[in-house]
Amino acid sequence: MALFAASAQQEAVAAPIQHRFDPYEDNGGTILSIAGADFSVIAGDTRQSQGYNIQTRYARKVWQLTDKVVLATNGFAADGANFVKKVKQRLEWYENAHQKQMSIKSIARMIQTMLYAKRFFPYYVYNILGGIEEDGTGAVYSFDPVGSYEREACRAAGAAQSLIQPFLDNQIYFRNQTFPADQPKPIPGNLPLGTVLGLVIDSFTSATERHIEVGDGLEMYVVMAKGRAVDDLTSKGALPEGVVVEELGPLGEGGGERTFLVRRTLKRD
Amino acid sequence: MECSFGITGKDYVLLASDMSAGRSILQFKSDENKIKELGPHLAMAYGGEPGDTNNFADYIERNMRLYHIRHHHALLPHAASSWIRRSLADSIRSRRPYSVNLLLAGFDTTDDTPHLYWIDYLGTKAVVPYAAHGMGMHVSLSTMDKYWHPNQDRRDGVDVLKKAIAEAQHRLSIKFTFNAIIIDKDGIHTVDLAAEDPIGKIEAEKAAKAEAEAAAAAAAAAPPAAAPEASAPVAAAA
Amino acid sequence: MDTLVAQLAPSRRGDEGSSSTAEWANNGYGNLDASGAVAGMDVPGVPDPLAFLSMHTDSMSTNPQAKIKLAHGTTTLAFRFKGGIIVAVDSRATAGSYIASGTVKKVIEINPYLLGTMAGGAADCQYWETYLGMQCRLHELRNKERISVAAASKILSNLVYQYKGMGLSMGTMICGWDKTGPALFYVDSDGQRLKGDLFSVGSGSTFAYGVLDQGYKWDLSDEEAQELGRRSIVAAGHRDAYSGNTVNLFHVRENGWEFIKNYDLSELWYEYEEKKKADLAAASAAAAGGVPIDVE
Repeated sequence: MALFAASAQQEAVAAPIQHRFDPYEDNGGTILSIAGADFSVIAGDTRQSQGYNIQTRYARKVWQLTDKVVLATNGFAADGANFVKKVKQRLEWYENAHQKQMSIKSIARMIQTMLYAKRFFPYYVYNILGGIEEDGTGAVYSFDPVGSYEREACRAAGAAQSLIQPFLDNQIYFRNQTFPADQPKPIPGNLPLGTVLGLVIDSFTSATERHIEVGDGLEMYVVMAKGRAVDDLTSKGALPEGVVVEELGPLGEGGGERTFLVRRTLKRD
Repeated sequence: MECSFGITGKDYVLLASDMSAGRSILQFKSDENKIKELGPHLAMAYGGEPGDTNNFADYIERNMRLYHIRHHHALLPHAASSWIRRSLADSIRSRRPYSVNLLLAGFDTTDDTPHLYWIDYLGTKAVVPYAAHGMGMHVSLSTMDKYWHPNQDRRDGVDVLKKAIAEAQHRLSIKFTFNAIIIDKDGIHTVDLAAEDPIGKIEAEKAAKAEAEAAAAAAAAAPPAAAPEASAPVAAAA
Repeated sequence: MDTLVAQLAPSRRGDEGSSSTAEWANNGYGNLDASGAVAGMDVPGVPDPLAFLSMHTDSMSTNPQAKIKLAHGTTTLAFRFKGGIIVAVDSRATAGSYIASGTVKKVIEINPYLLGTMAGGAADCQYWETYLGMQCRLHELRNKERISVAAASKILSNLVYQYKGMGLSMGTMICGWDKTGPALFYVDSDGQRLKGDLFSVGSGSTFAYGVLDQGYKWDLSDEEAQELGRRSIVAAGHRDAYSGNTVNLFHVRENGWEFIKNYDLSELWYEYEEKKKADLAAASAAAAGGVPIDVE
């Protein structure tokens, strides 16, 4: 017995096992958000993969946070899910403490501090926050994994970011487009909803064609400002074939903003 | 990237340091003072890891000041050197040590002796008649070995310092600008290395200051003929 | 008795790192604890947290295989002159060779009379300079006067010095006007803090210095100074691939800072080239004329 113990001990000393602490994974997929004058679209595909292996064809990446704010996460799915859980927890505490929902700009700042709190052990998550600002305009906030953020008119992140963002730069920011002298360059962030949804769908179908980690399904959350007419989304023939619209009921008191979930299939190969 | 010198003489000690500050290949400044006065007769030239240097120098400065306030006299050079060395020795055994090297120069007013200490980030202390830290160690120590001699006067000391600096300027690929101080029984004085006669300049300044002080003292001691009401309360109290 | 003391005494600062997320979050101050200090900075339980961080993150495009690519800033400059301080920056953020953004705000408006610039980790600069803004406001409330630029920059340098060796990356210039006049300090994540008249930070800084140093003097007029800042950023954006997109120009004067304008960097570069050509043509035309025309 004593001999056995001694040899076991010796073995342990002779070959120290080195552990590489590698808690991150890239689960692919892409998210995208575009702001309009009085609405915001936040979209993501539903494929979740690990290398060449597809884990699931339906995993959520876009989450409704409040009646006027939606969050999209991308990167490491486990970190993303955990982060969204913590954000929702903080929002619930806020609502209980203040009897109102947190505004989008406050949520953005909160997300910065929550991400930065893990500066030395980061969440491997790229976040895009979309929704309606307190003045009723559509907003998009994009974050890096440790919390630097900026308000923008549009942003794509994830696997197909480098495929989609240049397209958006051209279509939303009118980059490298020339306009005749009598027609001034339009101000970004004022496109009609139908055009924006068309751009989102084209972005994702194209990314699906060229990127192996994108596909299966597309979820587009549309947040409408208070009092905005919704017939450009809900009326018959407003949207292309195969697109399904569902209105999501208010989460809180309901300030008049309306959130819709627009779904569409993407190629599954 | 840095360079400092210290030289003792009969009744003084000289301290010089380069004035560069930067990051990687860039020099941001060529007029950063890296000599810190720690008391009326004590100063140090410091260098090492950026950030650590200033933080450590501030820490030493504040503690020297605190000692002065608590005990109504400043720590003598030898005691200060022990305390500073101990701080670095404790630091090197801590989780995140300070990487600071320094030359400590002081004048002991109790026995009128100059003191110079070479101290590094490991907590090594050496009592030396002349010393260099940084790049100067490689090129200018031999210069000082040859030209320094004990009990030399101030002008000879400044000449040795100028030779050491000239050697550093000549042989090192980096251009340096230097500032220097001298500590003697009267305290700390800046040495204008560019001046024709730096010591003469300091002596002239000292003489002018002494004259002004004497004049002020004479004015205070003179009978207060111009303001009799000012002395009235004193007289009443007496 | 001891248990009673433990219940009633406020917890020591050192203990609060281990307090649960819920505890500090409940206060509703982001991740600040009740005393206003930063709490809840999570560190992985590995022997060397810095090695962990540098293995998984790429904050300066030096570790391309790392998954987490952090946005980082690139060319920034600021200089003091008789009319105040000029602050000019580019707006490009890169993650590896991908341009993550061309619209980054690298000048952080700490408050109406203090500006900070962003080079290094975008989040590090944004977060800590926002925090600095809070500390400056607290200074005002406590002391009934505005904080000096020297003191503000020292708060920042002391802050990041606490995290030295943990992997923070920031090179910033704190610019403002206080009782001493225009003041400019360079502060970086090493803990270095330098007072100066002219600084440029970031990968394009060498190119910016090349133009800035040649044109700099104290007696510049406001227009000349603004043009020098603008031209230096264009020079850096033209030579350094990690810099570009647009130039943001700020001017700090006695009554606070003013945002001058956002310029498209490429458009400015073409303008400068056209002007260079026109000047050259004018000069050669004058030379061909033989006798200078304006000499009587």
